[in-house]
Amino acid sequence: MNPIIDGIQKAFQLIFSGDPTFYGVVYRSLFFSGVATILAALWGTPIAMLIGLREFRGKTLVKNFFNTMIGMPTVALGLILYLVFSRAGPLGPLGLLYTPAAIMLGEAVLVTPLIISITANAIEAVDPEMMNLARTLGASESQTSIAILKEAMNGVILGNIAGFNRAIAELGVALLVGGGILGTTDVLTTDISLYTQRGDLGLAIAFGIILLLIVFGINLIIMLAKKARFLLTFGRSPQ
Amino acid sequence: MAALVEIKNLSKSFGDRTVLDNIMLQIEEGEILALLGPNGSGKTTLLKILAFLEKPTSGEVTFQGVPVTAKNVERLRLQSAMVFQRTMMFSTSVYNNVAYGLRMRKLPKAVIKEEVSKALSLVKLEGFEQRPAKKLSGGEQQRVALARALVLKTKLLLLDEPTANLDPKNAAIVEDVIATANRDLKTTIVMATHNMFQAKTLPNRIALISDGVISEVGEPSEIFGELSKNLASFAAVDNTFVGTAETTEDGTTVVDIGNGVRIEATAHRSGEISVFISPQDIILSKSAVASSARNVFKGRITSILDSGSLVKLAVDVGQPFTVQITKRSFSEMGLNLGSEVYIAFKASGVQVV
Amino acid sequence: MKAWQKILIAAALATVIVIAGTIVYFDYFARRRLRISTTTSLYDTGLLDEIKSTYEATHNIDIHIISAGTGIALQQASAGDADIVLVHAPSQELTFLENGYGVCRKIIAYNYFTIVGPSADPARITGENATEALKKIFAYGREHSDQTIWVSRGDNSGTFSKETSLWTAAGYNQTEISSESWYATTGAGMANTLNVANQKGAYTLSDIGTYLSLYKPGTIQLKSIIAGGKSLLNVYSVMAVNPAKVSNVSFNDAIDFIKWLVSDTGQQVIDNYAVAEYSQHLFYGAVQALKNGSPQPDVSWIQSYAYFNDTECPAQWRDDHPELYS
Repeated sequence: MNPIIDGIQKAFQLIFSGDPTFYGVVYRSLFFSGVATILAALWGTPIAMLIGLREFRGKTLVKNFFNTMIGMPTVALGLILYLVFSRAGPLGPLGLLYTPAAIMLGEAVLVTPLIISITANAIEAVDPEMMNLARTLGASESQTSIAILKEAMNGVILGNIAGFNRAIAELGVALLVGGGILGTTDVLTTDISLYTQRGDLGLAIAFGIILLLIVFGINLIIMLAKKARFLLTFGRSPQ
Repeated sequence: MAALVEIKNLSKSFGDRTVLDNIMLQIEEGEILALLGPNGSGKTTLLKILAFLEKPTSGEVTFQGVPVTAKNVERLRLQSAMVFQRTMMFSTSVYNNVAYGLRMRKLPKAVIKEEVSKALSLVKLEGFEQRPAKKLSGGEQQRVALARALVLKTKLLLLDEPTANLDPKNAAIVEDVIATANRDLKTTIVMATHNMFQAKTLPNRIALISDGVISEVGEPSEIFGELSKNLASFAAVDNTFVGTAETTEDGTTVVDIGNGVRIEATAHRSGEISVFISPQDIILSKSAVASSARNVFKGRITSILDSGSLVKLAVDVGQPFTVQITKRSFSEMGLNLGSEVYIAFKASGVQVV
Repeated sequence: MKAWQKILIAAALATVIVIAGTIVYFDYFARRRLRISTTTSLYDTGLLDEIKSTYEATHNIDIHIISAGTGIALQQASAGDADIVLVHAPSQELTFLENGYGVCRKIIAYNYFTIVGPSADPARITGENATEALKKIFAYGREHSDQTIWVSRGDNSGTFSKETSLWTAAGYNQTEISSESWYATTGAGMANTLNVANQKGAYTLSDIGTYLSLYKPGTIQLKSIIAGGKSLLNVYSVMAVNPAKVSNVSFNDAIDFIKWLVSDTGQQVIDNYAVAEYSQHLFYGAVQALKNGSPQPDVSWIQSYAYFNDTECPAQWRDDHPELYS
């Protein structure tokens, strides 16, 4: 049978199968990349705010560093993180290798530069006089930064979606520090790799299709939400 | 009247560029003070220092007798509010824009709601609460900006060219609101302007500022009444000219402002005088049209400045005139740099100062 | 406090929660886990999935399988990232034991590698033994240096170990011939390598399990041309990681698992795996065969190929578990 047609059939069979193993994989993919994106946003946003709002020596260098890190091959990062998380490595005593935490932390590290770059660019694009506007209306320095962040919200959301997409679609980190252990750390991409390896191309393609559907679906939801001005204009007041 | 703000020996430089030089100024409680001066004279920087947004390089600022320091600056900012020349709106609704400062002051929701609606009705924007602020016209945005500052009922209100980019209708509303706020709320107002006409009517006092130096402070009648030599040097202010006036036989006054440009005015004056024509009072056309306007000159467009919904044109008719037209007229007339145009204004539109 | 400082504190907190949550989960809530590092050929055939589900059904433990080539599997184990290794490269296993990382080695299964190639068999190797076949492939490759004639894993796996020793037996140095134009290296797993050989119409060495799993559904059309014979013997062993040398390993659980693997139940799972699907054995249980000394000549081949000092595990590496060897 043609593996592509076989794959499409299997994809739809899986979606409607109610098979807990399959839903487990989808759930882990979403959960790991979701947590990784939240972590990366939490690490990256303050750094992006410093880059976007402050002038300091070596700022261009810092920006170039993060821009370069965006292109880091996932396998290379996976290998470095493997050595860090390995029992013999610096974080070895925590015993995180081949656990969900390793994937979540690893993918967070992977997407942090992407989130920093996009967020910092969005913040820099906001009129710098906006800071004075917030201040004169009575905002503290911290509230001022938040007001600017809200003005940059389009870019911040874009950065986080891009981060999530990269996290859910990457293989290198998940495979090297997660190990693709079935039922524990396997995600859509590691299963695609596994089933390709095992020669079950149909199932591999099915997982690929499902991955695409998820990414597409999430982007569609965000786009619709944006269109409805749900998040931006009326979502919340700036404070 | 007690001094609300006192500025002593204040200087401000950015790098090696001195923007304000040894400023001495008292702002009295409850007054409207206009800072009159050409672009780049340091008005905006002075306003920002009064809003506690910029730190002076040297000198002292005291607010109600308390010297401004790095420690109390965030608290003092709650006492003043500034409206910037370039209108900035938060990307949210009009309501949230106006409520912003009240939320920063942690007022109860019900109070905020009431105050916002009062402020919006003051600037004649009732019912605009849920509109996205950035979708409003330039004039409406400036009114929201004014409401956003007024709603805070600060002791001090700082306005940077509040009507510079507005059409006459919006400008009139804004001027009206400024007067009301000063009269009813007893708000002390400092406004920067280079509009002579506005400076003459609104403020209690005028401070002339050029090249970072305050050269004269006084009541409008003092400043405009006798021909001030400082004011004469203010040719950089839009459409202000110095010339020799002569009364003609039919009772009007003709002012020769040099380079063959003679302006007819209604005021009876003679000798050295300054005249000012509000840019809004000048009509621009592509050909000479018959009208009641006594002053018609032919010239060329020498610069085009886009400022929101309005376009500011410099027209050289022998002397440089500034004309404001709407963006729509600008594109419909198909104007370009170097286009030949006619400007026309009534003799009664010429302000003699 | 500035906004970015607040967010940074939240970030640190979130990170700690993720790490602590995982540690707490695995320490207190999840079942104990046994980490097995294994070779791709065992994993990709699906045998280990079967072993895992059978074992987990009767034991209160989670089996975590990490599949990699034999070389990487052994390296992970020595770094403390596995409790057990399941591999198929006797020479590398000996080094692992000698370095003190492994103990309690047991031979659990065997099968035969196969040399696969296009059904037309352009190098005419049908009917030859493995070394003669490689000589012919070498000669044919030299004549057709514009084509890819042989595809190699080149990835430190057990299969690659076997390939290297086969070339040596045939009188060639694998490192030297690997640079010749007819010799291609994938650096990838078995299934990928088979796919490449299939696309190129080239020969390659494969374990029988992976080959069948691709050949049966028609993914590849390569024929198994040479199968069986002493030189193609493939022996799978299990070793526990030595707790005296590597800290934080679950040694007792590892020994329990090894005992189960060599028990009749475990051996039957191995022996019967996928027989119904492929109508042939992918793996043969080795424990009973070695005990009975039959079938021959398989047993004597295993002994000469995978025994160290006439035993599957010399006494100094039995770590007080003589019952495994009775």
